[in-house]
Amino acid sequence: MNNKTIFIIQVLSLSFIWVLFTGIAVWILNLIKVSLALKDAPDASVAISIVAIPVFFTLASVLTYVFIGLQRGRKE
Amino acid sequence: MERTSVTPHPDAALLRPIENPGRGFYYIVAILLAVIFYTMYIYVRQLKYGLGVTGMAQPVTWGFYIINFVFFIGISHAGTLISAILRLSNAEWRRPITRMAEVITAIVLAIGGLHPIIDLGRPDRVLHLFYNGRLQSPLLWDVCSITAYFTASTVYLYIPMIPDIAILRDRGVRPRWLYNFLSWGWQGTKRQHEVLDRAMNILMVMVIPIAVSVHTIISYIFAMTVQPGWHSTIFGPYFVVGAIFSGIAAILVVMIIFRKVFRLERYLKQIHFNYLGILLLIMSLIWFYFTFSEYLTAFYGHEPNEMRVFWYKFTGKFAPYFWGMVICNFVIPVALLSNRKTRTIPGILVASITVIIGMWLERLAIVVPSLANPRLPYPTGIYVPTHTEWMLFLWGVSVFALGYVLFARFFPVISVWEIEEGREESAHIVGERIKSYQPDMELHEPEEKASAEAAEPPPPDDEGGARDET
Amino acid sequence: MKWGMVIDLQKCTGCGECVAACKLENNVAIVEPEESALGRSMLWMDMLTMYEGEYPLLRVRQIPRPCMHCDHPPCTKVCPVRATYKNDEGIVAQIYPQCIGCRYCMAACPYTVKSFNWYKPEWIKENRSTKNPDVSVRPVGVVEKCTFCHHRLQKAKEQAKYENRELLEDDFQPACVESCPTGAIVFGDLDNHEHHVSHLKHSPRAMMLLEDLGTEPKVIYLREVD
Repeated sequence: MNNKTIFIIQVLSLSFIWVLFTGIAVWILNLIKVSLALKDAPDASVAISIVAIPVFFTLASVLTYVFIGLQRGRKE
Repeated sequence: MERTSVTPHPDAALLRPIENPGRGFYYIVAILLAVIFYTMYIYVRQLKYGLGVTGMAQPVTWGFYIINFVFFIGISHAGTLISAILRLSNAEWRRPITRMAEVITAIVLAIGGLHPIIDLGRPDRVLHLFYNGRLQSPLLWDVCSITAYFTASTVYLYIPMIPDIAILRDRGVRPRWLYNFLSWGWQGTKRQHEVLDRAMNILMVMVIPIAVSVHTIISYIFAMTVQPGWHSTIFGPYFVVGAIFSGIAAILVVMIIFRKVFRLERYLKQIHFNYLGILLLIMSLIWFYFTFSEYLTAFYGHEPNEMRVFWYKFTGKFAPYFWGMVICNFVIPVALLSNRKTRTIPGILVASITVIIGMWLERLAIVVPSLANPRLPYPTGIYVPTHTEWMLFLWGVSVFALGYVLFARFFPVISVWEIEEGREESAHIVGERIKSYQPDMELHEPEEKASAEAAEPPPPDDEGGARDET
Repeated sequence: MKWGMVIDLQKCTGCGECVAACKLENNVAIVEPEESALGRSMLWMDMLTMYEGEYPLLRVRQIPRPCMHCDHPPCTKVCPVRATYKNDEGIVAQIYPQCIGCRYCMAACPYTVKSFNWYKPEWIKENRSTKNPDVSVRPVGVVEKCTFCHHRLQKAKEQAKYENRELLEDDFQPACVESCPTGAIVFGDLDNHEHHVSHLKHSPRAMMLLEDLGTEPKVIYLREVD
């Protein structure tokens, strides 16, 4: 496989992680929406989401930072 | 820092299992796959007939699956948490250990996380969690925290592995596309090292609270109910301590096995086992302290329902398991590890295995007795697991073994670049560090570096003067 | 409306008619004797036996035990999928198609009132054709429990609507209440001060099971007087 294909797959896998984490965030927000609609402990849901969602996005950001950093740090 | 295919590599022993896997690898994989297929057939049977094929009943509605869930997640604390603590505390001897520990976490978490699904009466409806989940339920907290911990620990395993993958890529190890894909264009330049160090620093600070939260939340599954023996404020830290305890034991077992199989005596020396053995001893004492506080408060308070669970464990039907737990978690490890004569590798192996068994018994002694003694007068029986449950336990263990064997087939179990870095720089770094806190010793450091260190404390040792020579 | 039940232990003879009536009314599965010995019998209404004192002053008490339909139910809080919840009339409901069978509610219930379908439910031959068409048959792997015969409430509401009148609380009685030969079980609106359930609730003999847990059960017992 040539380097171009590899690079495209790398970018795709990284985007997949972003999609996955966005999916988790959407899922949690959806659960909050349902709990608000049904008045079923929305306070607990909001509290948990405040903790959970940033964790995932920090992780994805760290990965992206490393990927971009490594690409920029190559000697050419 | 250019690392091209220079043969012989100074750490060829670490790369040999990947470059020449040998026939043993295929035998082990074949055996493990056979076991996994058989146990999966057993699970399919459970799917077909329902949970009736297990030994669970009323009132003991949770059994092996939940026990193993807690147990496996506990083992998973080995890795990432301990490796993060060792990295943060600049423990130089961590270098050959961290990778092995992190791998345990990633694999065991995946297995442990599946256990609640095995436990479901209707696994076909697990997607109900997506559109109708209730974040008020501690089970959902678990879904969130385990997902976070799994992804964080996988990333934390992967990022320090990039330079090693690049070594394999540069040596032309097959499959080339895999190493090419995973190495993310690593060339070992100064800039790349800086990026990697910064990411590792962020991750290790992030991973510790996540790891602590995971086991705290698992304890909340029990502690949030009002059941006697479960409804305890101490449960969060108690579970975390138990998790780290069993995790260290698991690391030690894995280290001893790989030392033997891959002949890594040069890397995993007596001193590593000695340090981790002492850590295991300390955790054993802390574990005993928590257990003592937990049961003393129950006993002194003498609330009738609590006391029924208490006596069920101490003198009743569960006494063999309870006292077995005390012997395995406290008596044997303390006896073996507090004596320098028995704190040898065989002694540590025995202590670690008993700790793993003891911690499993602890989960058993937490889950079952509280359920077996409901408040109202119901007929109670003792919970006896069936063949199905034992086989699915075996499934978990074999998937773990298979995962580890596959990892060790494709990636070095000891971090090659960190060993190399340690060989080149740690003596200098440690010397500087000692100078910095000794009285009457001059600090021979360039001005700018000292100020950079002051700006972001604490300075992990892979940073700082590490990259001066490039 | 806040449906509740009062069980007069003075009148209760412990005959078990309520247990049988409940089982038939709600299509509760009949498990094999071997399974039952393991602790898998399914009873929405159970008859608890409490022993007090020692022989020869031994005293045996029989207590019929339906779901307490707590006002602060510990089971609904822990449900991960909203399969059990407290509805507007205070009935703690269980939605079988929604339940994933994690059995957390069973572990959290201090009264241990819930049953689980360990196998696909089965009935003995004689019973197969006499199932109550108003109550859904549960599939394997879900949790079930007493619903205060919620299907009867539905029917009564429909009837009242058809007759163009308000629902009267005596329109609807759960099967256990109806079957009790001594009239020990009384059912009605706990909020309606006119009704005898409300009077009985304030009797000096009134007590609730595990009152100190703060679950506020809507099943109230009247103590035996010696």
